[in-house]
Amino acid sequence: MTTKTSLLKVILLGDGGVGKSSIMNRYVTNKFDAHLFHTIGVEFLNKELEVDGHQVTLQIWDTAGQERFRSLRTPFYRGSDCCLLTFSVDDNQSFLNLGNWKKEFIYYADVKEPEKFPFVVLGNKVDVTERQVSSEEARQWCQENGNFPYYETSAKDATNVAVAFEEAVRRVLALDERTDHLIPTDTVNLHRKPRSAATCCS
Amino acid sequence: MAADSVLKVLFEHEGVFIHPSSDEDGTEQDLLISGSLRIVDKDAEVLVEYRPLEDTVDPSNMLCAGKDSSSVMEWDQCSREKSQQLLETQQSYETEWDMINAVSFKKKSCTNGEGSLNHSHERSRWAFSFSVSELRSVTVKEEGWTFLLLKLKESCSSLPALHFHQGGSTEFLDSLRRFALLSEAAGDDACLLVSSPNRALSQSFENLLDDNNFGLVNQKFRKDPYITTLGGFSKVTNYIFDAFRGTEEQHQRPPEEVADLLGEVIPGLEINQQEEPGFEVITRMDLGPRPEVRRGTALSTEDWSRHQDAEGRMMNVALLKQLIFKGGLCHAVRKEAWKFLLGYFPWDSTLEERKVLQRDKMYDLTSSWGQFISDEYFRMKLQWKSVSEQQERRNSRLRDYRSLIEKDVNRTDRTNRFYEGIDNPGLVLLHDILMTYCMYDFDLGYVQGMSDLLSPVLYVMENEVDAFWCFVSFMDQMHQNFEEQMQGMKTQLIQLSTLLRLLDLAFWNYLGKYNYSSVLV
Ligand SMILES: Nc1nc2c(ncn2[C@@H]2O[C@H](COP(=O)(O)OP(=O)(O)O)[C@@H](O)[C@H]2O)c(=O)[nH]1
Ligand SMILES: [Mg+2]
Repeated sequence: MTTKTSLLKVILLGDGGVGKSSIMNRYVTNKFDAHLFHTIGVEFLNKELEVDGHQVTLQIWDTAGQERFRSLRTPFYRGSDCCLLTFSVDDNQSFLNLGNWKKEFIYYADVKEPEKFPFVVLGNKVDVTERQVSSEEARQWCQENGNFPYYETSAKDATNVAVAFEEAVRRVLALDERTDHLIPTDTVNLHRKPRSAATCCS
Repeated sequence: MAADSVLKVLFEHEGVFIHPSSDEDGTEQDLLISGSLRIVDKDAEVLVEYRPLEDTVDPSNMLCAGKDSSSVMEWDQCSREKSQQLLETQQSYETEWDMINAVSFKKKSCTNGEGSLNHSHERSRWAFSFSVSELRSVTVKEEGWTFLLLKLKESCSSLPALHFHQGGSTEFLDSLRRFALLSEAAGDDACLLVSSPNRALSQSFENLLDDNNFGLVNQKFRKDPYITTLGGFSKVTNYIFDAFRGTEEQHQRPPEEVADLLGEVIPGLEINQQEEPGFEVITRMDLGPRPEVRRGTALSTEDWSRHQDAEGRMMNVALLKQLIFKGGLCHAVRKEAWKFLLGYFPWDSTLEERKVLQRDKMYDLTSSWGQFISDEYFRMKLQWKSVSEQQERRNSRLRDYRSLIEKDVNRTDRTNRFYEGIDNPGLVLLHDILMTYCMYDFDLGYVQGMSDLLSPVLYVMENEVDAFWCFVSFMDQMHQNFEEQMQGMKTQLIQLSTLLRLLDLAFWNYLGKYNYSSVLV
């Protein structure tokens, strides 16, 4: 029995503390833990979903944002189908760094046609009242940098999180037939549970 | 029999380089050979061996390494153009090292077409090995980094210079000094003449085995692989080297081939197994049934004091450590014992000496500052505390450190009663010690993960100053994991990969097949 599912790899990038891990956890486990541990290196979670009749396993890769860990995170960029560029609306610096994250991703992921690559931009923590980045500014950046879809999310109260991931999937599916992503799900003999988690180190 | 041949690794350092271009006439301008330098005792003969490695880390990772290891690098340096430009100008001073190092290796994705085997054959010709007794002299040169010129007694063709771009030359020389007398040549103190005494060292090797730094004996591993693995996780790579040596003798492999195989231990090269029949050598690793391991009893306060002499020196430290390893410590002993285990208190210090040490850490008596700031810890704490908002606005490094610390303190062990809730004083202490550590080592500053190391230390010490100094000693040992180049982490990942390959080749291959081998390399 070789059921086939598309495996899509999406990667969350952005400064440390913008809420990448919280977004991933909100989406996969529908929980928000204000005292989540910080990410060292890279972690991933899988989530099965159906978008427009396509059965998809979304493999969400979460990375450590600190500069120092670049060489632990960049090897994981390769093979990504979509990149979620994340900032926090209450941290202007994280917004200013979006361009750098995009550049780093394109470089290390070895993206063939960067202009066509599906990026989705997330402005997280919209639940906080002291904003440093306005929606207009963020939308403008997305417009100018490749017309990326933009979502204002809150991992805390679940605003727009699922919608953003679904949009990411749509973007990828729209790009091609995804035939190269069809993998037989029984390849791995590791008694995989539907939702498996792994960490790369420690 | 070869398998009985005893090989002990007495010294090992990776990241020793050969610059072929300076030895030949620039045919391979961009090639740097990275390798590991070892001193081994093989059947009571001390050998120096150099083995080139295939690039042990994904080179693309290093492209962005900062110009100055202490500074946060600029994003712009990411650009491919810039690093290539650097390569073309062939700058080779240390500050540009990272860049050159990075671009000199081939990117993994490029090697597919060109046949990676050739590439490694290419490297293997730089392998060499000689007996310490053949060594005539070592010349130590500095060029921003240290490099050594080794001259042999017999041979007129000299060995390639060894460049210690990742440190280790002093350790190498120190290690060499155990087996040979190094004396400065008259009129040239950079040149060390080597004279090796008629070595009756066999008995001293037995002593060396007690020393944590020294290698693993083949037979021991075979007899009790689990225990030895637990005791010497990091030494397993040595075992694998040994395993290769073993097969060399069994099958009469030419040295080049062995060197290739060695290079092969480090994944990153896709070598077809059919074409490498010797490959299965390390895959045969029958560990036998898993022995039952039982936890010992935790060391009590009484046990601990029984290991102290009248003046408070710790006795039988090796045994003590073993007991702690096997059974752990009762919580009541931790506060005291961790100060030793973390390296803050020397094991052979007397109670009196420790009191003085602690007092000096609290009150730096030589300081001419007033009484309030005479305290070494609090002096450093005051340094960041007294930075005004305006000053901080102009100090981006300090600002970044602070912001990282604040983010991480919020995310560290918050379910522990010491750090839970919003206004827990534990949070303030964690924050303050980490900030003070930035003043203690501003170049390193704060790196994610440090809060996790400090948290249990602070929890156990329940004292800001002691926790700080224990953390300092701990960081001395863990420093490599936090440095810009993350050599420590890379080494551990390589070791993990090597182990995985040894113990579960199928899984290791699986990772390689799905391109996740980079996860471990
Ligand atoms: N108010 C609010 N806080 C958030 C939100 N998402 C994350 N956080 C908090 O921001 C901090 C950093 O989150 P984390 O997910 O660890 O960030 P990462 O470094 O990007 O993975 C944590 O204290 C989270 O609780 C959000 O949507 N709203
Ligand atoms: Mg995270």
